[in-house]
Amino acid sequence: MENKEIKEKLLREFAPQFEKTSPLALGWIIFLLIVIGLGVYAFITQVTKGHIVTGMRDNVVWGIYIVNFIFFMGMSYSGAIISGTLQLFRTEWRKPIIRMAEYLAIISLLIGPGYILLCIGRLDRLPYLALFGRIQSPITWDVIAISTDIFGCLIFLYLSILRDIASMRDFSELNVPAWRKKTYSILALGYSGTPEQEKILRRATDIMATMVIAIAIIVYSVLAWIFSVTLQPGWHSTIFGPYFVIAAVYSGTGVLIIAMWVFRKVYHLEQHITRKHFISMGVLMVVLAALFGYFTFSDYLTKWYGSEKNDERLIRILFSQYYWSFIFSNYIGVLVPLIVIGIPRLRTIRNITLSAFIVVVALWFNRYLIVIPTLESPYLPIQDSRPEWVNYSGTWVEYSLMAAGVALFCLLFTLASKFVPVMNVSEISDVPKTEPTDVFKAEESLL
Amino acid sequence: MQNHNKFWFVLFFLFLFCFLGSIAQNKKDSVTEVTPSLNFSYLNSTDTIILTANIFVKRDAGVFAIKNAVIEFNASGDKETRDLGQAIADAEGNAILKILPSTVIPKDKNGKTNYTAIFNGKGKYLPAKESFSVKSAHITVNFSKEDSLRFILVSANYLDSKGHIKPIQKEKIIVYVPRLFNLLKIGEADLNEVGTCKVDYPGELVGDSLGNIMVIARIEENDTYGNVQGQSSISWGTPKQYYLAEKPTRQLWSPIAPVWMIVTLIIMLSGVWAHYIYAVVQLIRIKQLSKKKPNS
Repeated sequence: MENKEIKEKLLREFAPQFEKTSPLALGWIIFLLIVIGLGVYAFITQVTKGHIVTGMRDNVVWGIYIVNFIFFMGMSYSGAIISGTLQLFRTEWRKPIIRMAEYLAIISLLIGPGYILLCIGRLDRLPYLALFGRIQSPITWDVIAISTDIFGCLIFLYLSILRDIASMRDFSELNVPAWRKKTYSILALGYSGTPEQEKILRRATDIMATMVIAIAIIVYSVLAWIFSVTLQPGWHSTIFGPYFVIAAVYSGTGVLIIAMWVFRKVYHLEQHITRKHFISMGVLMVVLAALFGYFTFSDYLTKWYGSEKNDERLIRILFSQYYWSFIFSNYIGVLVPLIVIGIPRLRTIRNITLSAFIVVVALWFNRYLIVIPTLESPYLPIQDSRPEWVNYSGTWVEYSLMAAGVALFCLLFTLASKFVPVMNVSEISDVPKTEPTDVFKAEESLL
Repeated sequence: MQNHNKFWFVLFFLFLFCFLGSIAQNKKDSVTEVTPSLNFSYLNSTDTIILTANIFVKRDAGVFAIKNAVIEFNASGDKETRDLGQAIADAEGNAILKILPSTVIPKDKNGKTNYTAIFNGKGKYLPAKESFSVKSAHITVNFSKEDSLRFILVSANYLDSKGHIKPIQKEKIIVYVPRLFNLLKIGEADLNEVGTCKVDYPGELVGDSLGNIMVIARIEENDTYGNVQGQSSISWGTPKQYYLAEKPTRQLWSPIAPVWMIVTLIIMLSGVWAHYIYAVVQLIRIKQLSKKKPNS
């Protein structure tokens, strides 16, 4: 049951976010649109001149696009797992941040598959995937899985924001254009908070929360299997499924902490998103850092110890050409959160956020090291292999499109926060249920 | 607070170091002139002459073919040099030129022709040249049966300086049959004084679907005649049976997926979408409940 006064107070506090766009916010949106425009130009260049404008060649057929695909999909599944888990646990501290996790899930899921389309040379052949797809192919599994996941996350997000949309519809002081009020009215589906409606909504949300957790784990495992079912040294690993899931949740936790810090700063949410939230998420990040470090160590130890020729060549490449990237992604990316959050004196909001930023960058490099060095050390010799094609180097086209993806992510997050509150207002204003202690006390007195 | 700043200071420089190290560029090799090597071979196959020049460079890292190199071929005798044409080297560095039987090839007084392959050089690659002299020869393959035994009869001859046909004597003939990836040697013999020899045909050899089999007889890497080849076909092979499955089997690699895979996928997708449909139905119920209530 909601406390109407608290809810209205919160809506009054958040109203400026929806009613006005400050010059800074406008400038931020324009900047993002410029970066996206640069990405569009890069895309047109790629379509007109072909993939020769990228760094991909016969040897390294997957480059930054695939790295970004894995990265964004990881963030999406992480958002789904975190939001689903927080939804089911019903702890008090999760209320201000669960909405950001839900946004993370759906926004990343919309952007990630775009990088696959950029990687495909012949987009006109895309329908063949549906017409002639093989059920045996992990890529077919991934297409089915991502399509299923998009629907699931959309339904879950909608269930989660339904109460807030109804609140926005009913909030008479909200000064927004008529079309937005109409939109709120339509999307609210006539929800009025009756006990029966609340019960139905709660049950549906819990079921979808369970589903998105399961779907996220399965779907990201499928993405990992695209690599691990090949015989390519560096990819053919039995632990890739759980390794990818752990890495995904790890990177998503980092992005969520950064989002918390940004929105806390921009919308002045210091009273709602406190140091306790950062520490809670930081502890989660530490646990995931330990798991990620363990899986990474286990994977590389197995490869190195076996001394198989192709694995040795890959490890030699990782520790020569990619030495500093390897150290940064697998050592610094693991040790920094462990140290910062492990030492109580270092557990400040700023330190935790900086650690999260390092984790996110380190995990991007981790995906880069999974994809590219492996392709530079092929399992079978490649015919007509030119020396200049052996090593991959991203071009301005690829980096522009990467920047455009990040900008689009930020833009969608910004726009979403201006349409629906970035915190779950309805849940925050919920009156905590009283425990049935009176009944037990009465029974004790009878005894 | 100062400890915090020191920590982030150190970490920032570590990060910068890693980043700069990761984007380090490799040094480019300086351009130096190289002298390519040229391997030149000759094959006379049923009077069609195939000249193959393989052009490559040897470096410390290995042997590298020069793709797209233009190789010119010519043939010379005593009195004239005839330009035969040019060929472009492929990815393996092979430039192949076929000379038809109708082409007039000059000869010297010994009946030999001097073939030359010339690479004129381009860019950092210096010119290269290779040549050899051969006599034009011809091999004929025939077959005979004596009782139940079968034989391959090979005869070889050459044209002398006056254009007379002379037998090739005391040279080795190797007999092959073509298989899927390579040639299978089935026998060898030396040519006699009249330029003929006889090789036993082995018992069971698989031919095409009608039982036809090609037999190839060769003189290989001869100083006088180069590589010479003749071939003929005979229906002595065992007809090859092609097995056609009535219907494709369900395998990981076949067009139709294994049944367990399809069943698993259907069960998983049905389970997931059933939950989605349930959630959507609940949303519809919420809408319906709102319509039942009087306006609040």
